[in-house]
Amino acid sequence: MARKPKAPAAPAKAFIETTVVVEGRSEKRVVELPSFEPAAWTEAAELSIVGTRTPRVDANEKVTGRARYTVDIARPGMLIAVVLRSPVAKGAITSFDAAAARAVPGVFGVLAPGDAPAATRLFPTKISYAGQPVAAVCADSFGAAAAGARAMAMKFEGAPFAATFEAATAPNAPLVRSKGNLMENMPIVASRGDVEAGLKAADVTVTREYRTPVQLHSALEPHVAVAEWEGDRVTIWESTQGIFRVREGVAEALGIPQSKVRVIKQYMGGGFGAKNGAAAHTFIAALFARSTGRPVQCFNTRKAEQTDAGNRPATTQRVTIGAKKDGTLTLITMSADIPLGVSGWEGGPGQMYHELYACPNVRTDETFAYVNASGMQAFRAPGYAEGAFGLESAINELATKLGMDPLALRRKNFAKDDPRLKRPWSGNALRECYDEAARRFGWATRDDRRATGAPTARQREEGAARTRRGFGMAAQVWPTGGGPPSYAHVRINSDASIDVLAGTQDLGTGARTVLSQIAAEALGAKLSDVTAVIGDTESLPYTGNSWGSMTTPSVGPAARMAAEEARRLLLEAAAPMLGVEPSDLETKDSRVMVRDTDRSMTFAEITEQLGNVMIIGRGTRGPNPADVSIATFGAQFAEVEVDLDTGIVRVLRIVAAHDAGRIINPLLAESQLEGGIIQGLGYGMFEERVMDPARGVTLNPDLHDYRIPTIADIPTIEAFFVGESDAIANHTGARGLAEPPLIPTAPAIAAAVADAIGGFVTQIPLTPWRVLGAIDQ
Amino acid sequence: MELTVNGRKHHISPAAGDRLLNVLRDELHLTGAKYGCGHGECGTCTVLVNGALTYSCITLVEGCEGATITTVEGLADGATMSALQQAFVAHDAAQCGYCTPGQLVAATKLLEQNPKPDDAAIKAGMSGNLCRCGTYPKIISAIQAVARGEFRGA
Repeated sequence: MARKPKAPAAPAKAFIETTVVVEGRSEKRVVELPSFEPAAWTEAAELSIVGTRTPRVDANEKVTGRARYTVDIARPGMLIAVVLRSPVAKGAITSFDAAAARAVPGVFGVLAPGDAPAATRLFPTKISYAGQPVAAVCADSFGAAAAGARAMAMKFEGAPFAATFEAATAPNAPLVRSKGNLMENMPIVASRGDVEAGLKAADVTVTREYRTPVQLHSALEPHVAVAEWEGDRVTIWESTQGIFRVREGVAEALGIPQSKVRVIKQYMGGGFGAKNGAAAHTFIAALFARSTGRPVQCFNTRKAEQTDAGNRPATTQRVTIGAKKDGTLTLITMSADIPLGVSGWEGGPGQMYHELYACPNVRTDETFAYVNASGMQAFRAPGYAEGAFGLESAINELATKLGMDPLALRRKNFAKDDPRLKRPWSGNALRECYDEAARRFGWATRDDRRATGAPTARQREEGAARTRRGFGMAAQVWPTGGGPPSYAHVRINSDASIDVLAGTQDLGTGARTVLSQIAAEALGAKLSDVTAVIGDTESLPYTGNSWGSMTTPSVGPAARMAAEEARRLLLEAAAPMLGVEPSDLETKDSRVMVRDTDRSMTFAEITEQLGNVMIIGRGTRGPNPADVSIATFGAQFAEVEVDLDTGIVRVLRIVAAHDAGRIINPLLAESQLEGGIIQGLGYGMFEERVMDPARGVTLNPDLHDYRIPTIADIPTIEAFFVGESDAIANHTGARGLAEPPLIPTAPAIAAAVADAIGGFVTQIPLTPWRVLGAIDQ
Repeated sequence: MELTVNGRKHHISPAAGDRLLNVLRDELHLTGAKYGCGHGECGTCTVLVNGALTYSCITLVEGCEGATITTVEGLADGATMSALQQAFVAHDAAQCGYCTPGQLVAATKLLEQNPKPDDAAIKAGMSGNLCRCGTYPKIISAIQAVARGEFRGA
């Protein structure tokens, strides 16, 4: 009788529901429990690669020009697609001549209104914002495609539109969307305690209306995709923060299985939240590539990028806060109007008002309206950057009214636990951020420096500018623990080179480097032996979008678990070679050593014996701990000089302390802080999309009139980390950190300006005109 | 017409109106210089033309006949990177890296003219090159390190 094959032991799997915070908003998810969780790298863990200031693993490619960005992808026979866009904010297309476009030499295809599959939502005949794609032409050169686009001779008929919140919510406003101009179930109200009672209990109150502008992401690599079909499969090269989300989007829009779509992204020139999925340019490239049988590139010109590639929506925030004489907050209320554009989500300013301070009575309401303008996209710390300007400006003015140090006021109202969800933080070193940043800034002795900013009487007689120094601060919270699902594999090749594989993407944040460091640390390998393989949906395990400061705390633990499993297998293989038990072995510098002896083998000696028996470790990101809130905190201090005659503000210095748990690579993390601060400085000082109210078109769709910070605008920046490994958040101890540093910069600068001129500017950017207005008060 | 790019002679037949950036990228396959704005606003396309800092996106190639051009690909000597390239790596002066080729060409020119620039000179010399990631503090420290002689390169 034949022996029965042994039934394989089913690996234990369990699926549970967990909560993941994405861009500050909680989402419920079903996740798979990992088969084991490595012991957490606590503060006491002795790590030799994680925590070092190692340069980026892909830095050489970037400084030599060898790094290949999506704009650099040139496929044989590649055609170029040009997108036509509406010049009117609302209305209809009255005529066009697709035949004339097709007749232009070099033109290979035209997608006219009505030509694209409905699921792509491309080219509706009704116009709802200026800059909306209305048609596309593809040709063998950019010039021929542009000539084809002109030959289309599209004509439009404008209609009354509503490009502002006020216009969209006025009686008898033109309809932006057929179901109405407000999002459903407006306003979104969140409250705790009793704000009426809080108002009665207050000794001092501040009531102000704050305004924040539309900020444009302005990544230097515009949105771009290249599509190429091979049979029924399409490959998309895309400058994206989410290769798997692009794959889902393309599969859905074209009605094909995800397995027929491959998305590749190796290097990208910035995203900042605007590149989170497939968009018009992606579908246009894929459709033309299918119809022509040629590879097709479609990219946004700079004008298109600044007009229709996402933005941080404007806000109006009406704030009242009150406190007892000793500074104890008794109420915070905020009512916000947010014009989203024709589409968007509820990334509003409200939530931060509930999270930063231990105030018992808080109420916010937010009304999101659709307007005839390009839709918003997440922009680095969506909602919180806007909210921080309102909340922190009000706190700073309250401190002035109370005659209290704004730092002392913040310390007084420190939220020991998450006041919104009423549960502990996994870790929170905000008080240490306050202390250490204040110390390095010289906050306590700032008045000594104030005098040095003012010209002497003699200098003034000689015509020196009347300038005044000011000092200000602001704080930040940002919910960012990362979470599942995220998978990673680690494989040790036959020559002992090591691959860490994860379907994630490096936006310039340093994901390749951080994953290599984590894998090398967990394996006991040399960093130089490890290669991070990312950015390709075809062969790599799933990870989510790189948004919400989530990549390191989401993919990092999966990479660590994969490396731990690979290490366990390696030790199992090495033990008989060394004549010991696996438990007698340890690893370091790509070497397996017998503990307390001088016997060892290099990884390469072991894999040579293994031949092509490949060691593969698999890692899964487990769920977040229940009943704790995970967030990154920080405090920033600003010193400015204001010219009292012109209103021109010069930011002289920013000192920033942030707590993001364990820092995997302090060099790269410092770059994230500096970059966030500089974008925050742009938000506070210069950046503002200007719309023509008469036509509903963007008046500054370029990098000259829409002014992002240059190297000449930046102050001295001292940015650093405090706090320790957050072993409760996840077993690497790291929280997210890319978005937080942008949050408090604008209100810290505004506070410094107020300190200098004695009047609060309640609208950013702090243009000379607005600053002068506040001086005159 | 003839161009010398990174020491190599090329014969090209440009069409009227062709920009230098497109010729470098599409015909000579030197993709280090990038398109960022097409209007000479951002500096991602920066190259040296006869030693002068040039926004190649707004430079007509017809005006470059016989010119000597240096792009980021010409800064290293084989496998040996220039001192600035090494310093940019060590100081993390590239985040996404998209503006980096232009920044490096501008920094090379700056140090050629002024080997010991102070902060104000660095800011003046580099202010034609935007970086949206905000690597400016690291760019400054990398240039300072080279000025101090901390890196030896090609």
